[in-house]
Amino acid sequence: MELDWWLDFLLAVLRAATPLLFCALGVLACERAGILNIGVEGSMLAGALAAVLGAVFTGNPWLGVAAAILTGLLAGLVLAGMTVYLPADQIATGIAFNLVSIGVTSFIYRLLVEGGVRLMAPSLNWGQAGGWLEPLTARLAIIPPLTLLALILVIGVQVLLFSTGPGLLWRSVGESARAAHAAGLSVLRVRSLALLGGSVLGALGGAALTLGWVPTFVDNMTMGRGFIGLAAVYFGRWRPDLMFFACLLFGAGEALAFRAQAMGAGLNPYYYLMLPYVLTLAAVAIVGMAMGPRDAGKPFLRG
Amino acid sequence: MPMSLSRAGTRLRRLMKTRTSITLAGMSLLFSLLALWICVYLAGADPYEALTAMFRGAFQGRWALRTTLSEWVAITLSGLAVLIPYRAGFFNVGGQGQLEMGGVAAAVVIMHLPAPPPLALAAALTACVLAGALTAGIPLLLRLSRGASEVTTTIMMNFAAMRFMYAMITGPLQDPGAWYGTTPIVPAGYRLPLFPPGSGIPVSLFAAVGLALGAWWLLSRTVFGLHLRAVGGNRAAAAAAGIAVDRVLIKAVLMGAALAGLAGGFQYLGHTLRVAEGWSKTWGLVGIPVALLGGSPLGVLLVGFLFAVLETGSRSMQALTGVPAALVFVFQGLPVLIYLALGAGLRRMGDAVDAK
Repeated sequence: MELDWWLDFLLAVLRAATPLLFCALGVLACERAGILNIGVEGSMLAGALAAVLGAVFTGNPWLGVAAAILTGLLAGLVLAGMTVYLPADQIATGIAFNLVSIGVTSFIYRLLVEGGVRLMAPSLNWGQAGGWLEPLTARLAIIPPLTLLALILVIGVQVLLFSTGPGLLWRSVGESARAAHAAGLSVLRVRSLALLGGSVLGALGGAALTLGWVPTFVDNMTMGRGFIGLAAVYFGRWRPDLMFFACLLFGAGEALAFRAQAMGAGLNPYYYLMLPYVLTLAAVAIVGMAMGPRDAGKPFLRG
Repeated sequence: MPMSLSRAGTRLRRLMKTRTSITLAGMSLLFSLLALWICVYLAGADPYEALTAMFRGAFQGRWALRTTLSEWVAITLSGLAVLIPYRAGFFNVGGQGQLEMGGVAAAVVIMHLPAPPPLALAAALTACVLAGALTAGIPLLLRLSRGASEVTTTIMMNFAAMRFMYAMITGPLQDPGAWYGTTPIVPAGYRLPLFPPGSGIPVSLFAAVGLALGAWWLLSRTVFGLHLRAVGGNRAAAAAAGIAVDRVLIKAVLMGAALAGLAGGFQYLGHTLRVAEGWSKTWGLVGIPVALLGGSPLGVLLVGFLFAVLETGSRSMQALTGVPAALVFVFQGLPVLIYLALGAGLRRMGDAVDAK
């Protein structure tokens, strides 16, 4: 009974943390290359809708994930064109992009859903992955596919960033674009790649939200989760490993809020939901932002 | 780069700054309206009918007019809350949170201060202004003492404030008779009046227009405005010229945030009459596109009006023609993207001319 409760809670935390992990990685990938990816919230929302539509219309949630990835690429292209190549202000672009994303996703969903019938997406699990994977997937059954992917990506990005040559170049662009440029690196290309990757990660976060948790689309359903990802990056001092724990902590806050709401007693659930933001502000107040990539948010002009 | 060759590029850039930026903003808005028109068409509605529905929804009848004008007040003040600090180099993304806290503060005063109406109203307005400024105080402090980017900290404050507001309206401030999260309705004598009485014009509109004119005067006709621009343009140079840069920045940010707080108080006391779930929509957030497109307090007033009309009008458009009101969000974001892209493109052309 006790053990069951804890296992249940742990799974709830993982479920809540998975979308955050993707978004946080999407923000981190960009910040490390010198881009402040405020638009991750919009990418996430677009990914959430694409995942639902893909899963419903093909009947296969794995194709929903593919649709989310494509949508993320599209979002990344727009954002990279705006903030890397023109370059327009990253923050203003991100905020405007998020607004457009809210409008476009709600508009498309309304057009496709006639008569107010909700589209319910089949949830993503190992069963649909294909028979030949059976021996492997049977063992993994308890961890949802996208959660596993997020965990692998966290480790992968951590190793890539801090233990490989390309990772060093990646970080150097975020640290000092001018120096990286002088060393012969294409700052614009690295930043565009980071934004493409970051937007795909954001869209995957949306897919994790719809295919792994709430199986439908609701207007503006991400409700600032992309920004919790942003908070996790700052709280985690721009390191994937620390960021991972931040996401777990914030996911736990969300899971606790739901539990408090369900039990109808104790602390007001909204205090738990304040947690990510208050903790991040406290972390900024205590440690400062000195560890962040120095050139994050600054546009780079060629030549 | 030799001076003589850079002249053409410089001229292009200087041109861009004033008249061109107005033209660009206008073009962006027009392009976006065109895109909206296409979306309405895609949704299977007659664009002309949709437009009529929109105008009717925004202006026909006293309630519609009052809603539109109230939206205008909130959006204008939120726009000024972004614009004034922006001039000093502080990107206040936190208008939404400042507005929420303004509403909460006003609600606390109205619910708990045992004072006669005019006094309580004055106290509530003071409280919302202070609450707005205080909410910006944390990001401001972190920027000055820790060098923390205000963009992230104000975003964090937005969400923290929103959750705090929800905790209040489902907790200590909740209307005991309500099944959802809301404060009690503002008692009749304590509401902001309409002027002239019985018309559809909230008295806060006069305040908002007055404040926008005041901001225009402050930014373009006073030494303080000049200092703001200097601090925002080149901080080190401003400091070298003897301007107390931190003090100028603090004043600008607190002033802006106070206006956002006031927007929250005005809406609560004059229009929504409750601080409730979703009561503030996205007024604070919309201040950002409005400030960027408006470019000056008068521009904010103008663009704010357009946004307010679309906001109220779109709801009746959805009811009458079935075109989703969510299109409003597209219209809030798209012109900014176009404006930024055009502006950056022009700047690039200026640089290209320089390079020749």
